[in-house]
Amino acid sequence: MLLKITDLSVRVAGKDILKGVNLEVRRGEIHAIMGPNGSGKSTLAQVLAGRADYEVTGGSVTFEGQDLLALPAEERARAGLFLGFQYPVEIPGVNNVYLLKAALNAKRKAAGQPEVDAYEFLALIKQKMRLMQMSESFLSRGVNEGFSGGEKKRNEVLQMLVLEPTLAILDETDSGLDIDALKVVSMGVNSLRDPNRAVVLVTHYQRLLGYIVPDYVHVLSGGRILKSGDRSLALELERRGYDWVQQESKVA
Amino acid sequence: MTTPAPHAAATPPLSPALRAFESQWLARDSTQSSTQSAQPDPLTVLRQNAMQRVLRLGLPTTRDETWRYTNLRHLTSHGFIEAPPSAAGVLQPTASLSLVGVDELAATVLMINGYPVLPDGIDAFFNGIEITSLRDLSRLDPALVAAHLEPLSDADQARWALVNAALFQDGLYLKVTGKVKTPLVILHVSTAEAANQIAHPRVIIEAAPGSSATIIEHHVEQGTHRPLCNSATHVAAGRDSKLEHYRVFATSAGAEHIDSLTLRLGGNSLCKQFTIALGGGLVRTSLEADLCQPGASLEAYSLLVGHEARHVDCVNIVTHSARETRSRQTARAIASGTSRVVFNSKVVVNAGAAQTDSQQSCRGLLLSTTAEIDTRPQLEIHADEVKCSHGATTGRLDPDMLFYMLSRGLDRETAQSLLVYAFLADVLTGMSVPSARSAIEDALIAQLPDSQILNKFR
Repeated sequence: MLLKITDLSVRVAGKDILKGVNLEVRRGEIHAIMGPNGSGKSTLAQVLAGRADYEVTGGSVTFEGQDLLALPAEERARAGLFLGFQYPVEIPGVNNVYLLKAALNAKRKAAGQPEVDAYEFLALIKQKMRLMQMSESFLSRGVNEGFSGGEKKRNEVLQMLVLEPTLAILDETDSGLDIDALKVVSMGVNSLRDPNRAVVLVTHYQRLLGYIVPDYVHVLSGGRILKSGDRSLALELERRGYDWVQQESKVA
Repeated sequence: MTTPAPHAAATPPLSPALRAFESQWLARDSTQSSTQSAQPDPLTVLRQNAMQRVLRLGLPTTRDETWRYTNLRHLTSHGFIEAPPSAAGVLQPTASLSLVGVDELAATVLMINGYPVLPDGIDAFFNGIEITSLRDLSRLDPALVAAHLEPLSDADQARWALVNAALFQDGLYLKVTGKVKTPLVILHVSTAEAANQIAHPRVIIEAAPGSSATIIEHHVEQGTHRPLCNSATHVAAGRDSKLEHYRVFATSAGAEHIDSLTLRLGGNSLCKQFTIALGGGLVRTSLEADLCQPGASLEAYSLLVGHEARHVDCVNIVTHSARETRSRQTARAIASGTSRVVFNSKVVVNAGAAQTDSQQSCRGLLLSTTAEIDTRPQLEIHADEVKCSHGATTGRLDPDMLFYMLSRGLDRETAQSLLVYAFLADVLTGMSVPSARSAIEDALIAQLPDSQILNKFR
C-alpha cells in the first residue's frame, strides 16, 4: 500500500472541511477524485502535501507505511510525494531553474545521492521542457513569474517530471487549459505512469479523464468520499451531475 | 486670569553638541578674520550664515517632522572634537566589501575623516574627471564652492548638513568632463583616537553637460574608536549628463552616521542613485533632489537592511520643479532582530511642473517579531496634468510562496533565504555596474540569515 488515508478529518479556519475521508492507493494505480466545488478536494490535496495551517482533527495517513502527517512538507516531498498546485504561486526573483535544481538536490541528498551535475541537469530539464512544449525563455524566468494559466500548469507537470515522485497529487491541473495544453499536460502525466508510481488526479471535470484513464474514480462531497467506482462512474457523473450521488448517500 | 506668555526666546538653549560646534566655528572664524582682508569672500559669508542658522534653529529632535523615529539625544548631549585628518598606523580599513573589482579597474580616492588623500598626478590615471581638494578650491575659487553649498535650507532634514557646511575642513570636488566608463570609488574611512570625535566629509560632484560617470561613495571604518560621521554630498548634474551615484554604508554596529545628499538635476539629465545601508549602529540618510529643468529624470533606489539592534532611517524628498520631469523611487527594507528601519519619502510637484511622472514604491519585509519597519510615502501636488503614484507595503514572508517551495523539498532556511534575496532583486537589478552589484550582493548576503545557503544560488 502506497498511501492509506483512514478517517481523515481536517479543519480550516475553524471550519470542518474533511469529515472522515478513507482512501487507499497502491503503486501503479491512477485515482481520480471528483466532486462539486467546496467539497474538500483541494483541502485533501494540500493537507497531504503538508500545509501547516490546516488542522488535522482526526484520522491518520500513512505513506509507504510511515506516518505522513508527522512529517513536515519538505520531508514529504523528499520521500517522494508531489503536489501539483491548483493555483501555482508566482515567486518573482527566484529563478525557475534554481528552484527545480534545489528541489532535485534536496531529494537526492535525502536519498544519500550526490548533487546532480550542472550539465546533466540542464540536459534533463531541456528534454522535459521539449516534452511539455515549453520555450527556453522559461529557463531565465522567475518561478511562474508572468506565466499564463496554462504555462503555470505545464510548469507544475515539468517539475513533477524532473522530480519523479512516487505519488503525484495533481490538484485541478486540467482547469483553465485549452485542448492543446490539456493534451500536452496529459502526455506529461502519462509519461510518468509506471508500476512503481501512483497518481491522484483531483478534478472537477471528466474531460481530463479522457486523456489520463483512471483505475478508480471517487466522489468527494461534503468532506467524505460518498462513492467509488471505475472509469464509468466519471462518465455517469458527467451525464447526471453530482446530486444523485449525494441523494443516494443520504438514503444509505 | 493668566498673563500672556512671553514670546519664546528667539534661540533655543544650545545643546552641548551645538555649543561645541559653535566654539569650533569661533576658533576657526577668528583665524580666518585675522588673515583676511576686510571684504570676506562669498564662501566665508555662506559658511558664517550656515553656522548662524543652525545656532538659531538648533539640532533636530524627534519633534521635527523627518526625525520622528530617530532620537539623537545621546549624541547631542555631549560635545565633539574634530576627528584627526589621518589614520594612526597603517591604513587597513575593516571594509565589509571590496568595491574594487579585479576585472574592472575602478579608481579609488581615499578620504580619511573627510580629508582626501590625493596622490600627485591623479588626473593622469583618471581621464574625464577632475579631482580637486576642497581646501585648495576654497582658496582658488571660493565662489564656485559657495555655489555648490547653496541654497542653505532651514528644513529639519538639512540641519546636520548646515553643520557640515560650516565646519568641513577639506573634501573633494569632482568635475566630470567626459564620458567615463570606469567607476570611481571614494573610500571614506572613519577613524578616531578617542570617543566623541566627529568628521564632516564633504563631496561635491559636478557633471558637465553631456558627461557621464559612475561614482561610488563607500563608507568604512578603521580602529576601535570611530567618530560620528556627518557627511554631505552635493551632485549637480548638467544638461544631458548621466550619473550613477552610490552611497554604501558598511560600517560596524558601533558606528553612527548622518549623511545628507542633495541632487540638482539639469535638463534631460538622468541620475540613478543607490542608497545602500548594510551596517552601522545608526544610519540616517537624507536625499533631497530637485528636478529643476525639463526632462530631468531620477531613479532613486534604497536598500535598507536592519539587523541586530540597528537603526536605519532614510528620508527622500524629491521635488519636481520643471515640466516633463520623471522620478522613480524604489525602496526595499528588511528588518530582523530588534532593528528598526524607517523609510520616509515625499514627492513635491511644484506649480508649473506639468507632465510630471513620479512613482514611489516601498516594500518592507519583517523577519522577526521584535523588528519594526515604518514607511510613509507622501505626495504634495501643486500642478495639473501630473502622473503620480505611491505604494507602501510591509509584511512577513509570503506563506504561500514558502509552502510552495517546501512542497518541492527545499528546507525552510533555504526557502526563506531565497525569498529574502528575491525581495531585494528590484534594487539589485537596477545596478548597472556588475562589479559594484556583485560586491554589494556579497556584503548584503553576508548580513542576511543563512548567508552560506544564499551564496549557492548566485
